[in-house]
Amino acid sequence: MNQVLDQPIRSPKSQIVHSDHRESSPRESHQSHTPTSEVVVRTEDLTIRYGNFAAVRNVTLDLLAHQVSAIIGPSGCGKSTLLRAINRMNEFVPGTSVEGRLLYRGRHVYDSDCDPVELRRRIGMVFQKPNPFPKSIFKNVAWGPMINGYRGNIGDLVERSLKQAALWDEVKDKLHDSAYALSGGQQQRLCIARAVALEPDVLLMDEPCSALDPIATARIEDLIDALKKRYTVVLVTHNMQQAARVSDRTAFLYMGELIEVNDTNTIFTKPGNQRTQDYITGRFG
Amino acid sequence: MTAHFVDLLNELKGRSLRMATLVEDILQDACDALFHTDHVLAQQVVERDRDVDAEEVEVEAEVIRLLALYQPVGSDLRILCTLLKINNDLERIADCAVNIGERARHLDLRKLAGRFLDLRKMAPLVQRILHDAMQAFGSQAIDEAEKVFSAEHAVDALYGQTVRQIVEEGSKNAEEMPSLVDILSVAKNLERIADHATNIAEDVVYVQTGEIVRHRLARM
Repeated sequence: MNQVLDQPIRSPKSQIVHSDHRESSPRESHQSHTPTSEVVVRTEDLTIRYGNFAAVRNVTLDLLAHQVSAIIGPSGCGKSTLLRAINRMNEFVPGTSVEGRLLYRGRHVYDSDCDPVELRRRIGMVFQKPNPFPKSIFKNVAWGPMINGYRGNIGDLVERSLKQAALWDEVKDKLHDSAYALSGGQQQRLCIARAVALEPDVLLMDEPCSALDPIATARIEDLIDALKKRYTVVLVTHNMQQAARVSDRTAFLYMGELIEVNDTNTIFTKPGNQRTQDYITGRFG
Repeated sequence: MTAHFVDLLNELKGRSLRMATLVEDILQDACDALFHTDHVLAQQVVERDRDVDAEEVEVEAEVIRLLALYQPVGSDLRILCTLLKINNDLERIADCAVNIGERARHLDLRKLAGRFLDLRKMAPLVQRILHDAMQAFGSQAIDEAEKVFSAEHAVDALYGQTVRQIVEEGSKNAEEMPSLVDILSVAKNLERIADHATNIAEDVVYVQTGEIVRHRLARM
């Protein structure tokens, strides 16, 4: 993985408009604790607009290596926008603009020489609804590495990825069946296998369990816990119990602003901000 | 759903405060029975323990139900956990009061007139501590809770003096030993009640701040 990180992430141009307000350190963070782990993703005074509407406003946040960071907040608070900004998925939305800095391993991802395709290979994404390709289970996992010129044993990679996604035992005898024949929970784990097959550094998960039943949700949650040993995981969820169960740190966003970020235990037992308190106890949102 | 949960939480808190009133009454009766040598009242104290036991079980069941169904977090979680602990403390206080009532059924303090004045000071002080602790819980006022912490030290001092007096009296007059053992038991139960009341006051601090101060205060 480190070899991958040493490669440049360059691109000839970016569609996203961004203005960089500062050269180095951001304003004082909202964080109550000084992070002790390695910072993988850092936002500095990040503002993301759709046209004139600022969906994310002046967010300064560190996401730490080998931790699950949960982003919570009511609908429209900007949590998915923030998540999708990390690997520049937002630039598919016309009119999107970014101000401030979003650093991945110290490099501003909206620099003009950052290659978004390479960035997305390193920062994978799992979506709300399982979205397997209309192909076999094997090809779903093998496709990404093959088009990226993978030169190793593709069968081994598929097996390794399916094992990491805790799906191997269930599909090893039907690898060439259609992915659509799998259950919703299995399809979501297949999408996770597809993401990890590219050996990313960071996994972004946008409400990955919201379309799943409780059993499938429990399996994905167990999987997230296992995945953080190899990857840095960022999870957007509406389910606060899920954030409490699986994340190490939790960030609360409200109306585009970062209200509070702290270790998950503190957020759910003695939050420091009244708005966090009101949200997690269901007083609003 | 949330408004419903808040209603249920407030209802449970009110129920806990009513249980505290019942326990305070039992303690008052136990002390009256002891100091006025009222054996009938002492028997009533022993019998009223069943009411507290039944209430304790029902409150505990309701706390568990709310935890399971609503999975509260933040201040709601702290209040529910505290209600569960206070529920246990109140039941134990009632047990201590019953122990005092049982001693009062056959202890005649008139025979020890003019002696064990520290014990006579302890009882109203302990009653006040319990009342203050529950007042602090009802109003969620940390400054009221802090009054309990300082008063508990006074109870401990009175208890220590009472024990020393018992040892002194016992060495002089072995015939009084059965009464002295009863007095020791009464003093010990009063001291335990003050401890439980202090637990309640500490829980008030926890509800308000999220800080568990129990052992930190014990060291101060």
